[in-house]
Amino acid sequence: MSSLSYQERSLYGSLLVELVVYLPYFFLHGHNSVGKVSLMILAIIVLQIILQSLIAAFTRNRTTDERDKLIQLRGYRAGYFTLASLMVLGLGMLWFHATNGHFPMNGGWVGLHFLSVFFGMLVISDIVKTVTQIVAYRRAL
Amino acid sequence: MPSIRNQIRELRGARGMTQQELADRIGLTRQTVIAIEQDKYSPSLETAFKVALVFGVPLEQVFQYEPKGKR
Repeated sequence: MSSLSYQERSLYGSLLVELVVYLPYFFLHGHNSVGKVSLMILAIIVLQIILQSLIAAFTRNRTTDERDKLIQLRGYRAGYFTLASLMVLGLGMLWFHATNGHFPMNGGWVGLHFLSVFFGMLVISDIVKTVTQIVAYRRAL
Repeated sequence: MPSIRNQIRELRGARGMTQQELADRIGLTRQTVIAIEQDKYSPSLETAFKVALVFGVPLEQVFQYEPKGKR
């Protein structure tokens, strides 16, 4: 770990928190509720603050430079493309299932389903962003 | 193969300077200095000038541009 820069440590921390908090979302999808999702969002905020504070406290050199910014941009670009692609795919599937009568076109039901799928897309794109940045650091860009 | 090559490792070695010392003097992280030395990352023009200034040599002695297909 000593060879890792502050940014890399921070990214590994973020990935750990994302996986620990978000994975239940995918595996317990059938039992999700608005309350559980709200709790998950709160948990990720609190855990991120605690973990990032610890990483900052135990890292003496917290310099960031032009390469860090470039890698950050690459991560955001990958995350954006993932989100945009999943959005098109998700809306297409929603339309397909709705028009084929797989579920009733009830306003509330469709709204909840869309919210759930949209949250899943945000989670996946966030993980893609973090992983892209870690890979860029490991490959030295 | 990268089209921008550099002599940072040689210039740094000749002056007995560590990667961390060079990084501190030009405001980069040690990991970025490593990436530049390995020709995996081409720094900005400003950073390139800073590196040349630290070594006290002209820019072209530190960085060389070789257009692709010329080698």
